[in-house]
Amino acid sequence: MTGEATTLHPAALSRPLSPLLALWPLLPIALFLGAFFVYPVLQLLTLSVRTPAGEMTAQNYLRIVSDPIYANVLAITFKIAFWTTLVSILGAYPVAYLLATASAKRRNSLMIWVLVPFWTSFLVRTFAWMILLGRNGAINRMLISLGITDAPVALIYNLTGTLIGMSHAMIPLAIMTMLPVMQTIDPNLARAADTLGARRGQTFWRIYFPQSMPGVSAACIMVFITSLGFFITPALLGGARETMITQVIITQVQELLNWGFAGALAVFLLAAALLVFALYDRVVGMATLAGASASVGRARPSMLGRVGARLGGAILGALGNLCAAVAERWERAMPGSAQGVLGKAALRLAFGFVIGFLILPALFVIPASFTAGAAVEFPPRGFSLRWYQTYLSSPDWISATYNSFAIATMSGLVALLIGTMAAFALTRRRIPGKTAVLALVLSPLIVPRVVIAVALFYLYSRLELVGTITGLVIGHAVLAVPYVVITVMAVLSTYDQRYDQAASTLGASPLRTLWRITLPQIRPGLIAAFLFAFITSFDELTIALFVTGGAVSTLPRQMWSDMLLQINPTLAAVATILLVVMTLLLFAGEYLRRRSP
Amino acid sequence: MTTTDDRDVPPKATRRDFLVTAALTTAAASMGSVSSALAAEKITVADPGGIYQSGFGAAFYKPFQAETGIEIVNVAREAEPTSQIKAIVEAKSYVWDVVSVTLSSRKLLSDQGLLEPLDWSGPEMDALIPAARQPDWMGTNVFASLLAYRTDTMKTAPNSWADFFDVKKFPGRRSLPKSPIIVLEGALLADGVPLDKLYPLDIDRAFRKLDEIKPHVSVWWASFGQTTQLLQSGEVDMLYSSNARIQAAIDSGAPVQLIWNQALYGLEGWAIPKGSPRAALAKRFIKYCANGARQAAYTNALAYGPTNPAAFDKIAPERAKFLPTAPENFKGMAQINDDWWGANKDKMFDRFNAWLLR
Repeated sequence: MTGEATTLHPAALSRPLSPLLALWPLLPIALFLGAFFVYPVLQLLTLSVRTPAGEMTAQNYLRIVSDPIYANVLAITFKIAFWTTLVSILGAYPVAYLLATASAKRRNSLMIWVLVPFWTSFLVRTFAWMILLGRNGAINRMLISLGITDAPVALIYNLTGTLIGMSHAMIPLAIMTMLPVMQTIDPNLARAADTLGARRGQTFWRIYFPQSMPGVSAACIMVFITSLGFFITPALLGGARETMITQVIITQVQELLNWGFAGALAVFLLAAALLVFALYDRVVGMATLAGASASVGRARPSMLGRVGARLGGAILGALGNLCAAVAERWERAMPGSAQGVLGKAALRLAFGFVIGFLILPALFVIPASFTAGAAVEFPPRGFSLRWYQTYLSSPDWISATYNSFAIATMSGLVALLIGTMAAFALTRRRIPGKTAVLALVLSPLIVPRVVIAVALFYLYSRLELVGTITGLVIGHAVLAVPYVVITVMAVLSTYDQRYDQAASTLGASPLRTLWRITLPQIRPGLIAAFLFAFITSFDELTIALFVTGGAVSTLPRQMWSDMLLQINPTLAAVATILLVVMTLLLFAGEYLRRRSP
Repeated sequence: MTTTDDRDVPPKATRRDFLVTAALTTAAASMGSVSSALAAEKITVADPGGIYQSGFGAAFYKPFQAETGIEIVNVAREAEPTSQIKAIVEAKSYVWDVVSVTLSSRKLLSDQGLLEPLDWSGPEMDALIPAARQPDWMGTNVFASLLAYRTDTMKTAPNSWADFFDVKKFPGRRSLPKSPIIVLEGALLADGVPLDKLYPLDIDRAFRKLDEIKPHVSVWWASFGQTTQLLQSGEVDMLYSSNARIQAAIDSGAPVQLIWNQALYGLEGWAIPKGSPRAALAKRFIKYCANGARQAAYTNALAYGPTNPAAFDKIAPERAKFLPTAPENFKGMAQINDDWWGANKDKMFDRFNAWLLR
């Protein structure tokens, strides 16, 4: 696979541009992140090496080293992110596989269920889990009434609760990242393997699984990095030990006004996360993500690099072989016909379980919104539409809804445009220090949002963007760009460039090839990337509150202020309306797409 | 105790209030261009949002606007607005003219020179309780940090921090915050330190006492908002929180009782970001909020204690019994020492986090 992609590189055919000039698609992202992320955030982070009087000091960093609490919290943060990634990937893979191998029609209607968690705000979702998983919650009551347990099980206020809440948020992201990659896998390869006598298990583990690796790899990175920044979910659903480093940073920023030390902690987190990223790149290899060119792009692969790449390849190979061996053993013990049936049943069961998990909070929120009582409860008290009336008759809620849609759409489009350009350059061109570029692109996901928010406020006050929608769109696009780059890179890495080559041989200009051949084929990846960008903005609270001083109302901001004393059923009503509207929009889009020739 | 009528009235009233506010806001917004062109006087006031907007709206914003013609633009702030105020002052982008901060946040902001001094002249300013008076901050409402329990599951009614720590005599599920504030005080109270001799806190003694209760804490809560739900759903039987959060559970019908004994009180109030170009108007607005009758008007929506004792002339006795500054409740309470916390918070957070993770 590797050799093929290098020899048939279209860039190799049409390369009149000088190497530096060929990097122009990276220019927009460099300017954008440079101006609205690197510059303001670096300015804030320099506070960590200065005393209030302005002299240089290492005091903040010495403090981190001298007190074991910070390393301890960082270790917990990485541990929680690791488990979340593992659970999310294991949950997402069978769903993505089943969706990728289903017919287009079935896939699109099933897809809508996967997206359900996206449309229920993280505030509402976290609260729903608190009620569902509690001691007297619906799940414990069900377990007791079914006689599975005598006393309530501790599902929440511990690591379990944290992982439930976090993987619920991350599984859709993982599915949506893997799916476009899996969709580009040519089903004929599996058929060929079948024809050549491979068993079903063998075909999967030796043919399909390796080809899906770029998607898995991208999903791992996105879920892991995103999980590092979680703090509300672990704080509300976790126990005494689930303290995340972001929470400690926020305390320093907000409660102690010690921005120097907060900056030092942010640098500490960033450094640790990028170290993990670099190691991951060496061992598993972002090569799987950035196409073959990543390894080629390195002028002189270092010793560690080569060993790492070998090691990574060996690990993956061994994993595949092990699974194949287990599968073969299993298959031999079974008559051929039973295998197929059983395999399919297991896959469907896993699919149903994961989808059930994803829509569970929504199943709770919808009835709760029709309560006649004043609190969100399960089961709801009586029936009324008063909370819908509250929403629809409130200009505050309506304008917040409008703002959220407008800001999310605009920041999604900005991120999609510059992120896709960067993804093309990163997958297809030889770029020195590709890992470093990727690390920079991922950084907005690692630096705590409160740090970005404070940094942007200072920048915006000079640009007169404080309190403007433009400022908010830019801030949200900064957060969304990493998702776009990784998602599009993942889908491009499995894209068969011989199509482009064929088009250019037939006389199509590069632009025409891009527009008529490449983009339509990677469409699922582009849609996923836009949805990630959209939802990043749609669910964002910190930057929305900070850079506008609360002047531009968005849905999360409105929900936040509404749930101050307790969550009231208006939030459940809003969540239900969003859920229904977004789902209908997706169905309508799907319907129109199928009707158009 | 609370009847069903009691329970249903406040939320309804709140909602109606809210709709009225909303309608007025729209009306004001549609006339905005005209009136601002004529008056050109408006200030932005940031509060915690939600129920504050209806409570303070009815008590302060609407009457002030009606009486003075100065427009109040009300925005919701973050849970802890200190960093935003610092950014506003340093970047000179005055998106807020008046902002509500707690007394302990005031200390932090004042120490960094980020607040504008207030105008303390006038009889109504003099009438405020001493704790509400700072050169650059005026207390608007008092909250109590206290214990509460479920009356249906606690067989014996607890009445002190010592009872909270006594797991044999008072069996039940307990909850404390993931923060040392009030928890250290509670441990010392449980260990026999009198309420008026708490500060400076004997930290080692407090942590030794906390070791006893640690294995018996079922939930470590992370936000005040969470405590309402913990009590309401019966997740725990006893916890410490702020009185308004517990009141929200009581108002929605949960069988919950407040323990006023050994309660500590803190304050929220108005401050002006230093250098605000509209500081004069902002000071005028703040002075307006010192009036007792106006403060009384927010107590229907917000279960907080007015800082002007004259407010209680206007508050019905059945509501007053839930308010921290009602004479009956206030006399047995002590104030949280924000100076001590200001000097020790950083160290305490680290030590408490390390203790929690142990």
